[in-house]
Amino acid sequence: MEANGKQGQEGSPELSLRPLDLSDIDDFMVWATDDKVSRFCSWDTFNSKEAGIDYIKNIIIPHPWFKAICLNNKAIGAISVSANNGNDRCRGELGYLLASKYWGKGIATRAVKMVASTIFNEQPHLERLEALVDVENGGSQRVLEKVGFHREGVLRKFFIQKGRCRDVVIYSLLSTDPQP
Amino acid sequence: MQQKVALPSVDLLLELGVLLVRVTLRPFRVSDVDDFMLWAGDEQVTRTIRWKTITSKKEALTFIKEVCIPHLFCRSICIDDRSIGFVLVIRWSGGDRHKADIGYGVASKYWGQGIATKAVKMVISEVFKDFPDLLRLQAFTVVENIASQRVLEKAGFTREGLLRKYTFLKGQLKDSVIYSLSSTDSNGAVDDEV
Repeated sequence: MEANGKQGQEGSPELSLRPLDLSDIDDFMVWATDDKVSRFCSWDTFNSKEAGIDYIKNIIIPHPWFKAICLNNKAIGAISVSANNGNDRCRGELGYLLASKYWGKGIATRAVKMVASTIFNEQPHLERLEALVDVENGGSQRVLEKVGFHREGVLRKFFIQKGRCRDVVIYSLLSTDPQP
Repeated sequence: MQQKVALPSVDLLLELGVLLVRVTLRPFRVSDVDDFMLWAGDEQVTRTIRWKTITSKKEALTFIKEVCIPHLFCRSICIDDRSIGFVLVIRWSGGDRHKADIGYGVASKYWGQGIATKAVKMVISEVFKDFPDLLRLQAFTVVENIASQRVLEKAGFTREGLLRKYTFLKGQLKDSVIYSLSSTDSNGAVDDEV
């Protein structure tokens, strides 16, 4: 399902979300090879186009909800909502990234707002959208706060990433919270 | 002919507050079935845990044999070697095996005596010793379960936050409070590089 973002200002490029596919491989490799982007992600920077193609085929395409963040239909990042099963089906986990060239322009905030304002209608069983952000990732924390997520606390030693144990901040947005 | 010695009644012992000294943990046995049914069949106990309320001896036997006994870490909380509750630790797998969840329940007759707190404290020392790559022990309680939150606080857990509409428990959507104990809380310094 495509979602079109409002234009922030006169003449600003159109932001949209659409499925990512193999034809996006070159744009994918721009952020996938960037240490600044992978720093707080679970994956290590990619070092071959083949690895990128495998990742798109095996992880991204089968994913239940994974979209490319696009500027004038060019993929400049990605945003996803992971599903849970059984007693945890009320929760979805939000993840997003942006090529570093596009940081600091409010784009991630716009993309998260787009997802937050449509995902609960799209997935009626979803009550809670949550995000777990590294304590050192201030930029990402600010994105969520601007969209209206609630900061619920710090979960200590929650993830092992690149051999180190990380504390994360947990945020949530409920279907009953004011729409962003 | 030997004379039978009359032991003090449990009620008297409760009054004397000596029960904590006699709290032990051990694996479940099939022979625990009757004691098990007393608390695992009690809605007051099972309301706030994931276990289904046990309604027959057959169910109790199946549960003990198929869940409690084969479990990586499931202990009966005992007084005088009689089962009055349970405490278990569920380890995560793969990239999350540095984490584990703790859960517990005590027969309602024994509430308010510090028994769950004692059992949790006993498990903490055992589990960080047995699993040296464990860095985080966590626990979830539903927001209205104040008694369970006190158990964790008395056992030294840190309250990290209130997670809104976090999970379904017995078909109801619940806000949960999350607690954790880190390996460095409970032991001496542990290197966080893995």
